[in-house]
Amino acid sequence: MSKSKNNRVSKLPPPKQQKTKSFSAVNKKSKRKTYTEEELGIPKLNMITPTGIKAPSGKKKGKIFIDDPKSMMTILALVNADKEGQIESKMMKARQMEEIREARRKEAEQREQTRKNKLEETKNDIKKGNKKGRHADVAINPKPHRQKDQKPEKRVAFAKSTAGLV
Amino acid sequence: MRPLTEQETKTLFEKLANYTGRSLSHLVAPPASTDSSSANANAQVMTFRLHGLRVYYLPVSLANLATTIARPNLLSVGTCIGKFSKHGKFRMHITALDVIAPHARYKLWVKPNGEMPFLYGGNVVKAHVGKWSEDCPAHQGVVVLAMNDTPLVFLQNETTSRSDRGD
Repeated sequence: MSKSKNNRVSKLPPPKQQKTKSFSAVNKKSKRKTYTEEELGIPKLNMITPTGIKAPSGKKKGKIFIDDPKSMMTILALVNADKEGQIESKMMKARQMEEIREARRKEAEQREQTRKNKLEETKNDIKKGNKKGRHADVAINPKPHRQKDQKPEKRVAFAKSTAGLV
Repeated sequence: MRPLTEQETKTLFEKLANYTGRSLSHLVAPPASTDSSSANANAQVMTFRLHGLRVYYLPVSLANLATTIARPNLLSVGTCIGKFSKHGKFRMHITALDVIAPHARYKLWVKPNGEMPFLYGGNVVKAHVGKWSEDCPAHQGVVVLAMNDTPLVFLQNETTSRSDRGD
């Protein structure tokens, strides 16, 4: 027991004399040079207050209320003009669409009319006994027969032979 | 309770202007009556006030009186027009109907037999339409009225009211 106690004591460092700081040394430390922001050369954007923002002096803080009818009417006039423009453009668009629709409808009607007319014409022709129908031109120009002096059509011979083999 | 700021006023008027025409200005400044001075005296100057997120429409005299009531104690004053959402949009309430109905730009009158089906959530069918304002563009604010000019609803129509369509 006593041995270990002796060992522990021996491990402690030997006592030293404490040095007290002289007054001059303390004074030196406090007289450290302080740099201004310009001297440090910090980029301006990194500063606490950004360069663009400047606190306005002598101006009302917080919200600005609109209470008098005059300024209300000014805002109202602006809003009304905006809305009028919107409605006007909507109406214009609607009118244009209407015109396009009308034109399309007329075109379709015309097409229908011409189709009907054609049908009527054909019907009348048939009623009158004129056999000039759909196949009339075929009847007039039947398929021309091959003449005797013309060469016979070419035929493929191997097709026949292969068929025989199989 | 406080007056509206510029941005809030703009948002509010933009919403109101969906339904009303140029006569919306009568809401802020009542038209000068020419008949007698007593009528002029009766015409109250109206204003908008914000309390919480709700916007109220009330006479200035009432707004001044209401300042005597502490904010937490004041529930409501004047006519509630609607409320600002937390995103800053303005939503109109049905209580605003009486305010906007006289100044509505586009109106639609529903016949008596169509009133109840419409108020119970049905559409306004063509057979129930008594009359309507001509040249109404699509998605425009419309005030629906009964035939005796009682405003029923304000809404945004879905299609143009075209009489020549025949559907």
